Amino acid sequence: MEPEKVIEEVKTSGLRGRGGAGFPTGVKWGFVPRTTGKPVYLLNNADESEPGTFKDRVLLERDPHLCIEGMIIAAWALGSEWSCVYIRGEYAYPYVRIQQAIEECYQQGYLGENIFGSGFTHHMVVHRGAGAYICGEETGLIESLEGKKGQPRIKPPFPAVAGLYQCPTVVNNVETLANLPWILEHGGAEYTRFGTEKSPGTKLFSASGHINRPGVYEVELGYPLLDFIENECGGVREGYQLKAVIPGGSSVPVLRADELEGVNLDYESLREAGSMLGSGGFIVMDNSTDMVEAAVNLAHFYSHESCGQCTPCREGGHWVEKILTRVSRGKGLPGDLELINSVCGQIGGHTICPFGEALVTPALSFIEKFPDEFTSRIDEVIRGIERRRETLNYEIEGAAH
Amino acid sequence: MSEQSQERTLVTLTIDGKEASVPEGTNLIEAARTVGIEIPHYCYHPHLSVPGNCRMCQVEVRGQPKLTIGCNTAVKEGMEVLTHLSSEAVRKTQAATLEFILINHPLDCTVCDQSGHCKLQDYHFEYNARPSRFLESKVRKAKAKPLGPEVILDGERCIMCTRCVRFCDEITKTSELGMFNRGDRSEIGVYEGRELNNALDATVVDLCPVGALTHRRWRFNTRIWFTREIDGICPGCSTGCNVKVASRDGQIVQVKARLNDNVNKEWLCNEGRYGFHRFLPENRVQAPSIEGRDAAWEELQGAVSRTLTGKVLVMLAPDLLLEEYDACQRYLKGLDAETTVVLAYRERQLNDVEKVLVSPDYAANFRGAQFAGLIEGDLEAQYTNALHEITKGAFDAVLMVGDHAIDAAAAADEQLWTEEVWGNTALVACISDADSVAATFARVRIPLSTILEKAGLLVNRYGWLQYTGQILGGRTPGRAVWRVLQLLSKSEISKAVTDRDRTVEYLRSESRLQGVTVAQIKDRGVQLDALTGDDAQRGSVAS
Repeated sequence: MEPEKVIEEVKTSGLRGRGGAGFPTGVKWGFVPRTTGKPVYLLNNADESEPGTFKDRVLLERDPHLCIEGMIIAAWALGSEWSCVYIRGEYAYPYVRIQQAIEECYQQGYLGENIFGSGFTHHMVVHRGAGAYICGEETGLIESLEGKKGQPRIKPPFPAVAGLYQCPTVVNNVETLANLPWILEHGGAEYTRFGTEKSPGTKLFSASGHINRPGVYEVELGYPLLDFIENECGGVREGYQLKAVIPGGSSVPVLRADELEGVNLDYESLREAGSMLGSGGFIVMDNSTDMVEAAVNLAHFYSHESCGQCTPCREGGHWVEKILTRVSRGKGLPGDLELINSVCGQIGGHTICPFGEALVTPALSFIEKFPDEFTSRIDEVIRGIERRRETLNYEIEGAAH
Repeated sequence: MSEQSQERTLVTLTIDGKEASVPEGTNLIEAARTVGIEIPHYCYHPHLSVPGNCRMCQVEVRGQPKLTIGCNTAVKEGMEVLTHLSSEAVRKTQAATLEFILINHPLDCTVCDQSGHCKLQDYHFEYNARPSRFLESKVRKAKAKPLGPEVILDGERCIMCTRCVRFCDEITKTSELGMFNRGDRSEIGVYEGRELNNALDATVVDLCPVGALTHRRWRFNTRIWFTREIDGICPGCSTGCNVKVASRDGQIVQVKARLNDNVNKEWLCNEGRYGFHRFLPENRVQAPSIEGRDAAWEELQGAVSRTLTGKVLVMLAPDLLLEEYDACQRYLKGLDAETTVVLAYRERQLNDVEKVLVSPDYAANFRGAQFAGLIEGDLEAQYTNALHEITKGAFDAVLMVGDHAIDAAAAADEQLWTEEVWGNTALVACISDADSVAATFARVRIPLSTILEKAGLLVNRYGWLQYTGQILGGRTPGRAVWRVLQLLSKSEISKAVTDRDRTVEYLRSESRLQGVTVAQIKDRGVQLDALTGDDAQRGSVAS
């Protein structure tokens, strides 16, 4: 099949990037200029670091050959002679698995010079990251791969034009690439028979939290969210009620239990509900969860992972974490929640990369969805202060008498 | 740069309703500058790569959903740009960015060397000026971390603009500096086993928009507002770097590079920056003297004209002003002697970092002497040859003009500086350094003012005519060369009273500089080769 035909087929399938942004894969490939004379690089983004997401790990561990097959298809479509699996440093076993699989492919002739006499040459390497969340951002990944500090680049230029070593580069998620063999085998049109119109196909969800059967599940997009919790996840723990769900990894807005009725697991339904499908990191929380602590936990993660390059994220991320920590420890002040909202508003949309939004979303959505838990923490402090003041007044008055 | 821009097509856009026409590919910060609007920025520098990390230059572009950074946005035909002058969203964002930058900043302006010329102070005053809402504890970092022999870092003041890192990566290509750690723990530092030690390293202090990087030798010297700051030209070599020199009570307390796209970008070498004292002798020649006795200025004309007869060698310092070389030319025309003119010029070896900026000489204005028609051809051969001739007694008299008419190597030449040589050859020395060998052997000594004590014109190696201000004020025992020569000459050389008069007088009298004004020269220099049509040596410092 000609490369153009492969791209057409992927466009027809409507496959959307499974890493989180959900950008149509075929369209992304279409941005790569073919006449620059420079090599085209394909990067498989296996730096899966979003809290609550572990689907790529399963793919790399259990079916590394599928990932490689997908990469070879993409490389053929893009005319790329060199690709790389950028795998997060903590994934020790998946690294061993994919590395072994690549060696096997070389031995069997699926990779290397002039593959099966086709005239097509492709080499594949695995690069282990050093454990930074930000290296999952495509330009951060490219910088890291070039041997520099993992800090996202300003765009434009976009990687499709000037990516790795300033050459045209495509960065695709593991799961996205793993979808390609099926699409090529059965045809793009066949793929659209699954899922919804705008979210075709199936998706892996990494279910975790207060459920009876945590794990990775493949479901058709458009699958009802509550059914997913009940059927696949085995329901919430015995004796507890569902409180909230983060449906797409920790950087998407949290949804309250009462908002989940009628919501389906696909891009448009979740967007309508005020959240996002993201990477499919499905985190379930029951009524034992302290939402203030949960928000502090996430704020800490994101402020810790800020690369420190641009001002709003570097300074603002820690500021938000510090205020939230103070509130959680009973030292909140009136106006703190408004301050968090204001600071978050100053970060989101003003940074080099989308990390700024990822950082403010948990804080903003937790406060928006569970305001009482936050205000009651602050009110407790106020009440405490007032109590102390009353005591003090009493003593002074007593002394006067 | 200007020639390049003429070749590119012009793009017309509006910035705050003002129409601007700039070459294709110009970014919004530079485009706004052309219509007199300053878009505030920290990390952007016109001669470094664009990292877009300070987020201070965000502007609104009509039709775009989010604000965009001015430094990384190229102009487009018909683009409508709104800056803080007309967009509330931009004003809010700038204030927010400043609030963020300042939350972990120590605000130790009271003891900070940058205070008074600090972009944080200026921008906060102009674009935020609100009390901080930050109640938490600030991040602590190293307050005095030496990066190398000349530069020291205050980590807490740093705002992570990475200008210093980029300078060492892209300009000197030495890559000593890097950004370490993540998030608000990020810090600038040197890589393991390295130190910031290259010929241009102190430039990072100039590039630092805040008080994070300071000169080890100039820290805590004085408050900058007590100093007298003069725009000058570094006389160290013939690159002619634009500098701003701050002095207090006749002492130089700081030298900064000044931006000039045509000459030195905004770079300056350590030798030039820290070498200004080289031009200020410890012991000055206080008064004219003839045959070892103090003399009045009026006596000089007779004494000098009696001495300068027969075969006369004229030795010129390479760091006189163009007006002074012109005066020399006029003076020598009226002199009744057989004169040979040489200029102290000696090439030297440069290392790779120096080659970025420094010229291979110590001859700030040798091109000026050439322009004045005093010298031509192989300067170094003529100079060394003349020194050799002196020892053979080839000249009846030597007229030496300027301290550096003898370079360091010649000054140390024991065969040259003997009673025997100078007993037969009469030396008339116009100098300022009383401790120099020339002062010891001179039959007539005439005190000169130094290059730091006068204002006027210099021509750099690449033909840029530039103006240097009078860096040090106050009374000096010496006089400028043109004043001295006027005194020695029987005919009129100059009617000028002040240095400024002399410059204007010179520009009027020089037919090749018709229409050139001092203001024009002060701005970014005037390219002489373009005026005279001589393209042979045209060029500028490698970028």
